[in-house]
Amino acid sequence: MVSIRTVNLTKVFGDVVAVDHVSLEIRHGEFFTLLGPSGCGKTTFLRTIAGLEMADEGRIYFDDQDITDMPAHLRGTGMVFQNYALWPHMNVFDNIAYGLKIRKVPKEEIRRRVKEVLKLVKLEGMENRTPHQLSGGQQQRVALARALVINPRVLLFDEPLSNLDAKLRVEMRAELRRLQRELGITAIYVTHDQEEAMSISDRIAVMNRGRIMQVGTPKEIYKNPKNEFVAKFIGQGTFILGEVVTYGEELEVRLESGKVVKAVPSHPDVRLEVGDKALIMIRPESFTLEPGKGYNEFEVEVYHISFLGDSQMLQASNEVENFIIEVDPDLEINVGQKLKVYAPPKHTLAVKL
Amino acid sequence: MGQAAGLSKLLRKIRWEMDAFSWSQLIIVLASFTAFLIVPLGLVVVRSFYSSSGGFSFYWLQTILTDPFYFPLRLKLLNRFPFISLEGIRGSLYEVVKYQTAGGEETIVLLTGWDMGVIPNSLVVATFTTLFSTVLGFTLAFIFAKYRFPGSEVLRIVSLIPLLSTPFVGAIGLKKMIVADGVLNVLFYDMLHLLPFKIEITGLPAVILVQTLLFYPIVMLNSYTALISVDPTLEEQAINMGASGFRLFRTVTLPLATPGVEAGALLVFILSLEDLGTPIVFKGTTAEKVLTFQIFNRIFTPAGLISQEATTLAMILLVISGLVFVGVRRYVSLKKYAMLSKGGTWRPKRRKLSPVVTLLVYIFILGVLFFATLPHIGVTLLAFAKQWGPTLLPSSFTLDNFIAVLSDEEASRCIMNSLVYSSIATLFMVVLGVSAAYLVSRKKSLPGIGALDLLVTIPIAVPGIAVATGLFLTYLGTPLSPTISGAPLLIASYTVRKIPFTVRAVFSGLEQTDKTLDEVAWTVGASRTRTFFSIVMPMILLNVLAGGMLSFIYSMSEVSTGIVVGDANHRDAPMTWKMYDMLFHGLAGGTFQPAALGFLLMTLQFIFIVGANLLLRKRATALIGV
Ligand SMILES: Nc1ncnc2c1ncn2[C@@H]1O[C@H](COP(=O)(O)OP(=O)(O)O)[C@@H](O)[C@H]1O
Ligand SMILES: [Mg+2]
Repeated sequence: MVSIRTVNLTKVFGDVVAVDHVSLEIRHGEFFTLLGPSGCGKTTFLRTIAGLEMADEGRIYFDDQDITDMPAHLRGTGMVFQNYALWPHMNVFDNIAYGLKIRKVPKEEIRRRVKEVLKLVKLEGMENRTPHQLSGGQQQRVALARALVINPRVLLFDEPLSNLDAKLRVEMRAELRRLQRELGITAIYVTHDQEEAMSISDRIAVMNRGRIMQVGTPKEIYKNPKNEFVAKFIGQGTFILGEVVTYGEELEVRLESGKVVKAVPSHPDVRLEVGDKALIMIRPESFTLEPGKGYNEFEVEVYHISFLGDSQMLQASNEVENFIIEVDPDLEINVGQKLKVYAPPKHTLAVKL
Repeated sequence: MGQAAGLSKLLRKIRWEMDAFSWSQLIIVLASFTAFLIVPLGLVVVRSFYSSSGGFSFYWLQTILTDPFYFPLRLKLLNRFPFISLEGIRGSLYEVVKYQTAGGEETIVLLTGWDMGVIPNSLVVATFTTLFSTVLGFTLAFIFAKYRFPGSEVLRIVSLIPLLSTPFVGAIGLKKMIVADGVLNVLFYDMLHLLPFKIEITGLPAVILVQTLLFYPIVMLNSYTALISVDPTLEEQAINMGASGFRLFRTVTLPLATPGVEAGALLVFILSLEDLGTPIVFKGTTAEKVLTFQIFNRIFTPAGLISQEATTLAMILLVISGLVFVGVRRYVSLKKYAMLSKGGTWRPKRRKLSPVVTLLVYIFILGVLFFATLPHIGVTLLAFAKQWGPTLLPSSFTLDNFIAVLSDEEASRCIMNSLVYSSIATLFMVVLGVSAAYLVSRKKSLPGIGALDLLVTIPIAVPGIAVATGLFLTYLGTPLSPTISGAPLLIASYTVRKIPFTVRAVFSGLEQTDKTLDEVAWTVGASRTRTFFSIVMPMILLNVLAGGMLSFIYSMSEVSTGIVVGDANHRDAPMTWKMYDMLFHGLAGGTFQPAALGFLLMTLQFIFIVGANLLLRKRATALIGV
C-alpha cells in the first residue's frame, strides 16, 4: 500500500497536451477516481503512472520514492485495461500465474495463490478455460485476478466496466469496491461515467482537457462545484446566467431576465466581485413548492414530465430560462400547468465563470 | 537552450523506449544491412566513378552513354536548334522468313522488335510489361472485385498461379510454346489452320510477353485489395447522386483504387527492369540487350575481377530503379502495407452479371488463364518429356529427366547447397526480420523508425544483379570471398534480398496483436525482453513461420547472386545456377533436365506458398504478393 503523488505531471502527443501539469495526492488505501469526458486524458494519466508512457514533464512519487523514470515492470502496479488484454495463447491459470512465475514463486505456492484469487473473484474451477471461452464479465474478473495476484502496490483501473452490460456493471462496481477495501490496496480508477464515479470513490478528480478541474469527495463535488465545468458535468441542474450585484455578507446575482436572486458561492474557495459574470446553479432536488423565508421565487410553465418512480422530474421554463425541478411522485401535475417554485439561497449556488 | 532541451528530451525518450534488448535488435539489423546492402551498393556507385588509375572520373559513364550499343540517343544541334537523334537503332519490329518444306513453302513471321540500345531497351521492356500487366491485372481485379458469377473465387485463385513461377520456369515453359515449331503454332497453324502463317515471338517482345504473364498478378493483387477496400457506401452515395456506369468508375472507383494500382504497377516496372532470368532464357536474341543481362555477361574481367563497365551499368540500373522506387515508396512501407492488407473489412457488394456478359467474362478470363498457365504446363510437360518435336504434346513421357538430374553429382550438390544456404539464410531472416518488424511496430514514436521500415522493405526494389555486383566488389579478396566459399555471400544476399517477406508477415502479425498485451505483461513484472519471448513471440509464431517459409522459398529461387557466385565457384553453386548452366552448357537432355529441376523447384514453391497462406488463413490476403 502506497500513497501516490504527482507533481506537474505532463504528457504531450504532438500538439495535444493529453495530461497538463497534473498535481495530485492519492492517499494510502484510498479509492481514487479520475472522472472526465472521453479524450480528456484519463487513460494517458493512468498509463503514465504505470510507466507505459514517459512523462514529458513533472514527477511521480510512490510514497517518497521518485519513480518517474522507473521502467514499468519494476513499479509493482496492477493494471486492469479497458479491453482486459488477456493473453489469448494462455488459459486462465497461466494468465494469472504469469506474474508469479516471473517472481520465481514456487510452483505449489503459485497454485495456491491462483486458487485463492480465483475464489476472490468468484471464478473457482475456471483455471483451464481459454479467454475466448469466457464472457465479458468473466474476462474482466480474470484481468482483475491477474492484477491482484501479484500483491500490487497500487491498482490501476482503466474503465474496467465499460464493456459490460448495465446490470453487471452495477454488480461489479460494488464487488470491486469490496475487494479493494478488503485488500487495502491504493486504487486509481478511471471512468467517464459520473454515476459510477460517485458510487464507488473515496475521492474524485474531475478532469477536462488534460487538467484537473476539482478534487473532492463525491459529495463535495456534487454540492460544491468549483467551476462551470464541474457544475455541468456532475449531476443535473438548472443553470441561469447572471451578474453579481452584491458581494459581502450576502451575495446577490441579477439574472438576464432582470430578476435578482440571493445565492451563495458554489465552493468555499470561490471569490466573486461585484460585476463578475456568474452562473446560478440549482439542483433539481433543491426546489420546493412551498415558499420559505428569503427563498428565491420563480414562476414557470411545465412542458415535460418524466416520472421516475421515486420522484418526478419536471422540465419547465419561464420564456427566458429552462428549469429542471424534482417533485414528489404523488403530486398531481400536468404539462402546460403554471407553477411557482422556490429555492433556498443556501442551495442557490453562484458558480464563477 | 530550446535546442538543448529538445535534445535532452529526445535522449530521454530514446533511453525510455530502448532497453539493451531493443538496442541489440536494432544493431544486428543495421549491421547486417550496412555490411551486405548499403556498403555494397555504395561501392557500386563509387566505383563506377573511378578512373583506371583510381581517381574520380566520368570515363565509364561517358563511354557507356556515348556507345550506341548502350545508348543511341544523341542531342544534336541543327541550325542551332537542339533535337534528339537516334543512332544505331537496329532491326525491325518483325521479319518474314520463308522456307521450303516437304509440303511446300512455309512462312514464319518473326516478331523480334527493334534493338534500341541496352538502356532504352530495358526501359521500353519495363514500360510495356508494366502497361500490359496493369491493363490485364486491373481488368481481372475489377471483374473479381465487382461481379459475382459461378466459380469466380476459384478463377481468382487460379489467376494468381504465375506468382508461383520460379526463375527460368516461366520463360523455359513459354519459350517452348512460342517458337516456330512450338505448341501454339502446332495448335493454331498446323491443326486448327487459324493462322495464315506461323508466328514466332522472340527477343525483346518475348521478354515482354513472359514478364507480363509473370507479373500481372502483382497488379491484380494490389488492385483487388484496393478495390475491395473502397468503402461501398462511397459508391452508393455517388449512385444516389446520379452517377452511373463509366462515370461512376472514372470519378469514384478509379481514384479510390489508384494508390493500390499504382503501387502494383511501379513494382512491376522495377521487377521487369531487374529480371535476369527471362533474358537469359532467350539468350542469343535481342533479349540479351538489356541492362541485367549485360551486367551479368561482363561482370568478370578475364582476370577474375569485377569489371568497371559492369559496375557502371549496375549503377545506372540502380539509379533508375531508385528513381522509380521514390514513387513506390509511399506504398511499400510496412505501415502502408498493413493498411492495404487490412482492406477487405468491408463486405464488398458484388453485382450479378447477365448470362451473355458472364459468357464473355468467362471467355476473357479463361483466355488469360490459358496463357498464364502455359509456362507451367510447358515446363511440366518438358520435365516429363522424353522427346518433343514439332507436336502438340511430347511424343513420349518418362521420369528419366528427374533420375538424370538427381543422379548428376553436380546437380544434386547444387540442390543440397541451395537447401543449406536457404535454411541458414532463413534463420538469419527470422532473427533480423522479427527484430525489425518488432521495432517498427512497437516503437513507432521513435525518430528514425521510418528509415528502418524503409531499409527492410527496400530490397524488393533493389535489382539483384546490382546487389550481386556490390557484394563482389566489397568482398572479393576478403575472407568472405566467393572464390574461397560461395556460402557467405549467397547467404548474405538471400538474407538481405528476401527478408521483406519475413518482415511483412511478422509485421502484420504484430499489428494484429494489441500492444496492451505486451504492456500488461510489463505491469505484472515482466521485463521487455521476457515479454518479447514469452508473450509476443508465441502470439506471432504462425506469422513468423509463414514469413520464414516464404523467405526460404524465395531464397531457393534467387537468381542474380546465385548465378554470379556459381560462375565464380562451381563447387558452391546453388540450384538456380545449375539450371542456368544446364540450359546453355548442358550436354544431353536439352531443356528437359533444367525443366525437371524447374519442376522440382516449382513444386516446392507451390507447397511452401500454399502452406504459408494456409497457416495465416485470411490473416494476410496479399502475403504472396511481392
Ligand atoms: N498514443 C497516442 N498518440 C497520440 N495521441 C494520443 C495517444 N494517446 C492518447 N492521445 C490523445 O490524447 C488525448 C487523451 O487521450 P486519452 O488519455 O486516451 O483520453 P481518455 O482516456 O480520457 O479518453 C486524446 O486527445 C487522444 O487523442
Ligand atoms: Mg480512455
